[in-house]
Amino acid sequence: MSPRVRPGRPGRPGRKARGAAAVVVTALILGAGVAALCLGTPVVPPTELLGPLTGGGDDPRVAVVVGQLRLPRVVLALLAGACLGAAGLVLQEALRNPLAVPEMLGVSAGAALGVAVPLVLSLSLPALLVPSLALVGAALGGGLTLVAAGFGRSPSAVLLTGAAVTAALQAALLVVMVMADQLSLQIIYRYLLGSLSARTWEHVGGVWPWLVLAVPALVLCAPVLSVLRLGDDDASALGVRVHRARLAALGVVVVLIAPVVAVCGPVAWVGFLAPQIARRLDPTGHAVRWLPWSIAWGAAIVLVADLPARLALAPVETPVGAWTALVGVPVGVLLLRSGRRSGRRSARSAAHPDGHPTSVPAPRIPVGPVPGTGKGKS
Amino acid sequence: MKGSGVVVPSPAGRRAGTPPRLPVPRSPLPRLALLFLVVLAVAVADVVAGRAVTPAGVWEVLLGGGDALDRHVVLNLRVPRMLVALVAGACLAVAGLLLQSALRNPLAGPEVTGVTPGAVLGAVVATGFGLADRQSPLAVVIAACLGGLFGAGLLWVLTGRRRDDPTETAVHGVLVSAVLGGLTAMVLLVAPGELGSVVQWLIGTTDGRVWQHWNLLWPWALCWGIAAWLLAGPLTLLRCGEEQAAEAGLDTGRARGAALLCAVALAAGAVSTVGALGFVGLLVPHLALALFGADLRITVPGAALAGAAVVGGADALAQVGGRALAVLWDADRLTLPVGALTTALGAALLLVVVRRSPTRDF
Repeated sequence: MSPRVRPGRPGRPGRKARGAAAVVVTALILGAGVAALCLGTPVVPPTELLGPLTGGGDDPRVAVVVGQLRLPRVVLALLAGACLGAAGLVLQEALRNPLAVPEMLGVSAGAALGVAVPLVLSLSLPALLVPSLALVGAALGGGLTLVAAGFGRSPSAVLLTGAAVTAALQAALLVVMVMADQLSLQIIYRYLLGSLSARTWEHVGGVWPWLVLAVPALVLCAPVLSVLRLGDDDASALGVRVHRARLAALGVVVVLIAPVVAVCGPVAWVGFLAPQIARRLDPTGHAVRWLPWSIAWGAAIVLVADLPARLALAPVETPVGAWTALVGVPVGVLLLRSGRRSGRRSARSAAHPDGHPTSVPAPRIPVGPVPGTGKGKS
Repeated sequence: MKGSGVVVPSPAGRRAGTPPRLPVPRSPLPRLALLFLVVLAVAVADVVAGRAVTPAGVWEVLLGGGDALDRHVVLNLRVPRMLVALVAGACLAVAGLLLQSALRNPLAGPEVTGVTPGAVLGAVVATGFGLADRQSPLAVVIAACLGGLFGAGLLWVLTGRRRDDPTETAVHGVLVSAVLGGLTAMVLLVAPGELGSVVQWLIGTTDGRVWQHWNLLWPWALCWGIAAWLLAGPLTLLRCGEEQAAEAGLDTGRARGAALLCAVALAAGAVSTVGALGFVGLLVPHLALALFGADLRITVPGAALAGAAVVGGADALAQVGGRALAVLWDADRLTLPVGALTTALGAALLLVVVRRSPTRDF
């Protein structure tokens, strides 16, 4: 991984860095996958993995542990990471903001509400309905944001509305949490952090059918994203119906993350980190080239983070989201800082003779309401 | 940068021909008095709202009558709760105003600068590892204060040389808040037994706040409130700009540091008593600035009154709303935490702002 790719020279160094990155991410996924299958109680040596995986093996207990417990967890980690990585990239590109995270669309808060309400109010529901309630909550949260933001009028409106919807749903969650007893609180809290513990093939089955819907949509909307990045005016001058394209992209994001959040909980910062890494490794690329990288890095991040989540405090499991947040945010800050510095350098070097930088102006994140922006500087 | 007319406003020469018209400074006292009346009304409403005792019963108790149960409910539960809500709101609002002025950043509320999450983390750590409990509330306040300083310091280190840029600071503040939230979650996982008693800091609520909390809160708030008012003059200068303030003879570094310390202490006191009340520290200062103008010597008390009115009113509303919800759903244990209400109000305000300026780039 060489972060010092010189901008403005799309020749060999970039390709070399991409090759190295491909090796690194493949090694990470393979190594973490094998480690996740082998480590734990009982420890299965890698040489004996093949037996239990194919259903055979000497010890049926090992076969159950590997095939029914560890393998679905690995698959789910890969799926969740890939979905979050892709969703993060689509969101950041569509809203032109490096800090647009999937958590800000109101999807996670809606899913959390869908988990918490039946748990705390002890509604007697058929067991089949419970996971779909989280899905309904997630879809409602995402849909509410899209409707309230006027179907994707402007990027900052979407972000601010997402923050508002998230805050409102969290307020509702607070009301529920006040009523909860100790046990339900712990379950809700664990869910809120995002956890992969005790997930089986059943849970995997709750995620992958949605991919059938999401993947073709993703492939279709990816090329438009690189045009959207130019800004609304330029994109519409190029013949893109901007509002409709942005709405479609946001819809794809909701379809991508709602099932993941419903099953695993909001695993924090993956959707922020993976696109950042993808962009850093290929600064001259565009959305279509970044998409596979973002997917791969998302999968790698969740898979790697699940190892300490399962093993660090064994036999107690820690939520994987705690690890991604703890490690991910400092890394993300570093990436942002160095990325902006090199970005500024490249903007300066690529500036017009009259001093106007040719690059897209750095998008800014709105944080909180700004009713009196001008008043701050009297 | 010289002589840009900071200390003496000179509107002369804006339009040639018209004589210079000096703005007549309107006295802020009527507005302050009006706001004070609002706070009083809110206080009365907060005492009257709530279940178990009727308004007539409250009146009787306040006149010295009533039966023992009513007396206990009103004098030992409702009155301290009302006082705690008012003072906590005032603390948060003043803390937000100090932060926004010292950092010259309209987005800097205690929630965004890592102060509130840091304070929550401090309180949770102290409780989770057995350093403090209900018997030693002062330890919780001090731990929350240290945590708030830690959060603010982390942001200070992270933003580095570019902390003049408001959005930059806000962006890093959100990240710092996320890290601190993650740390809080880790502590809760290590000490899950404390979860029930710790959640009260994550949710801002005034339920069950009694005289003990009030006795702890008011001296703290009073000291730091006076300190904030003493800092108001220098901060007003600081709002005009770094160079201007330095030229007027202000040691900007020291003034800013003192203001930050004061803001952290105020926010930490409020958080350790009532928990993280969303959006109060971010929005109420803007309300106060709109009402009283940029002279902080008047706006600091104004912000305190406005914060008290907002949180007290939200508390009264939360009690009424909680009662209505309980009747509606026939669930006795349903209560509406005031933090949920302020968060919902802030969210609604945010939506209004977005809808009113759809194309503006924030």
